[in-house]
Amino acid sequence: MGKEIYVGIDIGSLSSEALLLGEEEILAYSIMGTGANPQRTARQCLEEALAKAGLDEKAVSIVVATGYGRIRVPFKAREVTEITCHARGAHFLFPRTRTVIDIGGQDSKVITLDDKGRINDFVMNDKCAAGTGRFLEVMANALEVELSDMGSQSLQVRKGVSITSMCTVFAESEVISLIAEGHRVKEIIRGLHESISGRIFRMAKRLRVRKEITFSGGVAKNEGIADALKILFGMSINIPDEPQIVGALGAALYARDVALKDK
Amino acid sequence: MRDKETRVKLLRWLIHSPTTYRVLRPIVDLQNIRENTAYRIWVRFLLDILRKAYAHKRPVIWMNSFLPIEIVYGVGAVPFLPEVMASLVGYMGWGEYPIAQADARISTDLCSFYRCAFGLALEGFLPRPNLIISSSHLCDGANKLFHYFSQICGCPHLMLDPPYSESPSTHQYMTDQLKDLVEKTCGLLRLPLDQDRISVVLNLSNQTRQYLVKINELRRAVPSPFPGSEGLSYLAGMNFYSIGSGWGLRFFRSLHDDIEKKVANKKGYLFEEKHRLLWLHHVRPYYKNEIFQILAERKAAVSFEESNYLYWPPLDPAQPWKSMVDKILSNIWAGPLERRMKAIEEMVENYSIDGVIHFSHWGCRQSCGGAAVIGDWLKERGVPYIVLPGDCMDPNNYSPGQTRTRLEAFIEMLE
Repeated sequence: MGKEIYVGIDIGSLSSEALLLGEEEILAYSIMGTGANPQRTARQCLEEALAKAGLDEKAVSIVVATGYGRIRVPFKAREVTEITCHARGAHFLFPRTRTVIDIGGQDSKVITLDDKGRINDFVMNDKCAAGTGRFLEVMANALEVELSDMGSQSLQVRKGVSITSMCTVFAESEVISLIAEGHRVKEIIRGLHESISGRIFRMAKRLRVRKEITFSGGVAKNEGIADALKILFGMSINIPDEPQIVGALGAALYARDVALKDK
Repeated sequence: MRDKETRVKLLRWLIHSPTTYRVLRPIVDLQNIRENTAYRIWVRFLLDILRKAYAHKRPVIWMNSFLPIEIVYGVGAVPFLPEVMASLVGYMGWGEYPIAQADARISTDLCSFYRCAFGLALEGFLPRPNLIISSSHLCDGANKLFHYFSQICGCPHLMLDPPYSESPSTHQYMTDQLKDLVEKTCGLLRLPLDQDRISVVLNLSNQTRQYLVKINELRRAVPSPFPGSEGLSYLAGMNFYSIGSGWGLRFFRSLHDDIEKKVANKKGYLFEEKHRLLWLHHVRPYYKNEIFQILAERKAAVSFEESNYLYWPPLDPAQPWKSMVDKILSNIWAGPLERRMKAIEEMVENYSIDGVIHFSHWGCRQSCGGAAVIGDWLKERGVPYIVLPGDCMDPNNYSPGQTRTRLEAFIEMLE
């Protein structure tokens, strides 16, 4: 009998990930834009990850889906919310994690967990996508900078320009006005990051935040936001090498649990 | 455009014609043949009250939901609750049109039950009131909006202003107010203040109350015999609207008999029940939504809802004013939060609750204002708790994906 492969698939609002897990180690993963057809994306994601690992689909033991599109993954055995999966994935990568901040494409969440990685409590943004990955994309576009450069640019200044609007549409207008007033782009970016972090911090205050904090989701790649969060929370923050796969990793860990339980 | 106007005119004419409700009764009876008897009584009651309200053979009094309805039954008028009617309109999937009409005149931050009722009033769908009565004891906004209603409808408006906290002087202050309000009501509507009629109404109220006590006792059973989604719809509606009437007594007696059978047969409303939930906030979304389906998929029963918590003591027909004042002042959603928390503690215990959902209805300050304090307090006691933000009437404020994620993650927390 061959090696068991457990698969987690995270279909987010902007990006999707598939992760292949062996008994203890991550074998491969893939990341791609979700697009308009989550079913097709899920399939492509899995195929890409399998190709990277040089494995055949027959090797897959079980698939668990997560993310907002979890219900649309046709070949899943189970579905688990991204809240539970991010908690589980973050705890696997950093076992002393007790708080997870996850900022994805359209949602932001703060999750507190116990020493086993189980959720104690969570908060989530309301239906507005302010302060999420999509918000940053729109701002990068308005500022004519690459999304991936925003973090490094904001670290070049110590204080940002105050941004009062959090609505994506109004904030875009405000950013354009600030450029017209002559503010430096890096100060505006820093201001945006401070504003997003402040929003997350206020959300987190509804929970009992405990050390260690792990930051997951695509926005965790932005060093500027990570830095602003670190200052607000007054403690260091764990950032995974690839923060986008934490949800898929959590789903794969659940897949492993389910497979072992069924044996 | 002209077609739409014609349709609206036709609908308005149909709604205002008492014959509509007579014709509808056998039709809906046939349609509801598979429903339980209590549900059928609820529908017949609605058709009856609407027929009376539009027929105008007796004076019609509009009032807000938390005033003791016995006041109106007691003076022999026809009660009309715009908020309950708004929820019904939402349930039928017709809420967006009146809400859109209201949004042109009043703030979208106002509770959508009121916005819907306001839109219905503006469009001339509601029966003309002879008098409007409102009370501020849950929602100060009610008095303001009902005042606006009185301007639109051209009728007098009377209001009650119960104090926030109880003190030795509170009862006398409220008794004087209530007595004055009822005397003015009788004077304005030229109705006799008939003590015997009031006694009959309070007796009916007490008999109904006894069934409510028994129903709530039966609902402690595992598995949950009665769905919380229905507790928040027609059961809550009858709780607001029918207490003190013969309809109310028949409804609660019938519901009791139905639940009693289910409990005897150990029949739960879900195929399998894994978790028992308590729903906080006295209402739920009435437009098409997936909330209760998501919970059912995860084998989570809404075992009880605070809207049906019996907070008021038995009424004393010999002391009608004092009794109705007691009913107003014992309301757990008005006044100090500690009272509501005590009731929640009792419900968690009595119904073997595993988790609590606090639905936070957009614009409802009186309920949402306490959600954080209640949450911290429950969590300290080890009771999982979630605030579910949304809107009971306006589907534009409903976010299906986020609602699903919140609810499913909450259930995952319980597992």
